Amino acid sequence: MIYLDHAATAPPDPRVADAMLPHLTGRVGNPSEPHAAGRRARADLEAARAGIGALLGHERVVLTSGGTEADNLAVLGRAAGAPGRMVISALEHPAVLRPAEALAARGWELAVAPVLADGRIDVAALAELVRSGDALCCAMGASNITGVVQPIAAIAELCAERGVPLHVDHVQTAAGADASIAGLPGCVTIAVAAHKLGGPRGVGALVGAVDGLAPLAYGGGQEAGLRPGTEDVVGAVGLAAALALRQGPAAGDERARRAALRDALEARLGLPVAGGSAPRLPGHLLLLTGFRGDTAVRLLDDRGVCVAAGSACASGEPAPEPALLAMGLDAAAARGAVRVTLGPETTQADIDGFADAWAAVAADLARAREALA
Amino acid sequence: MIDLARVGAISDPDGDGRAGGGACDDRIRVTLRLAGERLAEVRFGADACASATAAMARLAALAEGRTLLDAARLGRADVGDVDSPACALTAVDALHAALGDAVVRGAGAAPDATRVGVAMSGGVDSALVLAEAVDEGRAALGLTLRLWIDPAAPAPERACCAPDSVRRARDLCHALGVPHLMLDLREPFRAAVVDPFVAGYAAGETPNPCATCNGAFRFDALDGVATRLGCTEWRTGHYARLVERDGRFLVARGADPLKDQSAMLALVDPGILGRVRLPLGDRVKAAVVGDARGRGLAAADAPESQEVCFLGGGALAPFLARQGVALGAGPIVDEEGAVLGAHAGAVAYTPGQRRGLGVSRGTEPLHVLRVEPATNTVVVGRLSRLGRRAVPLRDVVVHAPAERVEACFRVRAEPIPGVLEPDGRGGAVVRLVRDAYQAAPGQVCVLYDGDCVVAAGVVAG
Repeated sequence: MIYLDHAATAPPDPRVADAMLPHLTGRVGNPSEPHAAGRRARADLEAARAGIGALLGHERVVLTSGGTEADNLAVLGRAAGAPGRMVISALEHPAVLRPAEALAARGWELAVAPVLADGRIDVAALAELVRSGDALCCAMGASNITGVVQPIAAIAELCAERGVPLHVDHVQTAAGADASIAGLPGCVTIAVAAHKLGGPRGVGALVGAVDGLAPLAYGGGQEAGLRPGTEDVVGAVGLAAALALRQGPAAGDERARRAALRDALEARLGLPVAGGSAPRLPGHLLLLTGFRGDTAVRLLDDRGVCVAAGSACASGEPAPEPALLAMGLDAAAARGAVRVTLGPETTQADIDGFADAWAAVAADLARAREALA
Repeated sequence: MIDLARVGAISDPDGDGRAGGGACDDRIRVTLRLAGERLAEVRFGADACASATAAMARLAALAEGRTLLDAARLGRADVGDVDSPACALTAVDALHAALGDAVVRGAGAAPDATRVGVAMSGGVDSALVLAEAVDEGRAALGLTLRLWIDPAAPAPERACCAPDSVRRARDLCHALGVPHLMLDLREPFRAAVVDPFVAGYAAGETPNPCATCNGAFRFDALDGVATRLGCTEWRTGHYARLVERDGRFLVARGADPLKDQSAMLALVDPGILGRVRLPLGDRVKAAVVGDARGRGLAAADAPESQEVCFLGGGALAPFLARQGVALGAGPIVDEEGAVLGAHAGAVAYTPGQRRGLGVSRGTEPLHVLRVEPATNTVVVGRLSRLGRRAVPLRDVVVHAPAERVEACFRVRAEPIPGVLEPDGRGGAVVRLVRDAYQAAPGQVCVLYDGDCVVAAGVVAG
């Protein structure tokens, strides 16, 4: 099997598993208990938290069940008071978009910032939209669809000027680009998820300026009251270990290797690419195949290749990916999107295998289309 | 696994069907090659989503090698496990379009004394007829004619052969293990029924498309198809009876006076009625609906098609406009030529009409007396001015000789006794014992002897 769907979830990295193993097999103890077992669990937890905070550039780290919960906490946590106004980009993942829409249904004003044709958020338009007094601005760090890395520094600056908190969904970014918020001005939070980084599923974090957020759940007061429930020590250790591999000092060489593989594949296929002219995550390639993307994905799967479709049908209704439509692609082009995402363990052989499988699938799809004539 | 072994297009196929083009623009084409009654080859082309493509590949594999009638049993239950079952229906539609096309091109099946065709509309009446045929142990075969689709209509799904109705008819058959064939006769239907209907209105007449359709098109088409597919008889869900007289069959009034459809069948060639059965002729609608509910038939509460099927839920005038009939504002005048008001298109009015005129003259009610297309004028006056006792008919068909007849000019209108005097040249005059007020030119006049339709003709002037 050739696995090129790292943006969906990355294969577990054995080094992460090694770090987690002692905490899975033998160590007990609730970090909230004052006895020896509890104190050791607390120390393990805080060491992991400190590692996460150091890698992401902020000492405040709220551990969550993953990226979705972190995004929800960042959005809904700013909305405990009377309805106000919020700005999001047209690229946002459903983990941000849906809670924002839920607020709109409760009387919040929701403004959506447009996207340029190259896949980047239109910063000039965003500057017009974000106003002093807004409860929040959300701009994802890198698109989960195109992989385009967003101009977060400029966005953070304009939000800081207006005194508006900024939330950045860095779930994809953390896998292939610098996700640290050290040095960003203003009040910034970011969301990350371990499973995109070779870590375990079911753990993520909201990092940054979390003071003033309202919790989504109430309970024992853990995580400074923002995320009650007995802490997941092994998950925190896994997240810290995965982040160390993807955000640590050695990450750069691996990103360069991945980008070279991706660039070679892109050149070999010769297909139009969404976001190809903008800076992208090193392992990310969104192909505009001209065929039905979901059908292509099924046929690639039949040939042992796992990739993702940019769009899929839901109960007979076509659902072209909104992020692609926001870039100005038409529905037909968007339906042809196939997302290929590489990871640290991707090899040249994987790339060659994909290219061969694609050639065969493209020939099949062309034949099926010709038979319509 | 999507099996692509059957991707392709057979050149010079025995059946060729297409489906798709909806919101997601999925497109599928199926071509067939027959060897005797079997599908020797089934090939498909597709530019469609994964669910539709996977369903098509599976249906093609299942259909190949089956007889045409056995392949016509394949439906939504056979598409396999797909993410979007709604999309898979495009594949079912394409297969059935190709199977139906094969029949239209002449494919058939050997005669089978147990086989009975059932004309299926997707509604409750034909659903019950089908279920009862299955109960009798007959080898039933559902047949649906696809006659019209007008996407510009306000409610295209209300046309009797709209895609949803066809799918409902197919599902009703498949739920009972019965094969279903859909015959796409849209082009000949337009030529035989819709074009004359439009031309009739453009000429200021009031055509009666249902009688024309059944008489000049639908029953002939169904009889031809049923016979070719080896059916010894075929059935419909019409509320009318068949009565044998002097060795031939006549259409007679149905037992339910509110649903009687004998007039709709007045122009059907008696030569084919010997192969037709109308099991609901002795039933009343309420009992039919009750029986269908009792059997749990999915069509028990399907919407009823009452109006002219191809109007698609809309009014006459916009339909005529879509068909290219020029409709412009013009005067409403009385018989002396005094202008009483304005209309938006004279040909959409019909003699006898009172509603929707918006004009008055004193306190007397005004009715449309005639429509003059040449000057785009609607002439109105007292109803009594429409009354006449001698009505000329054209295109007269006489099914059985009868000295005295009762003439009906509108569905469920009180019949008027009289005599029919044929002129020997296809025309006739019907002489009535009292005035008829609703004999609009273009309407079908149905002549009864008792409950039996013995003759019919078109009001000529």
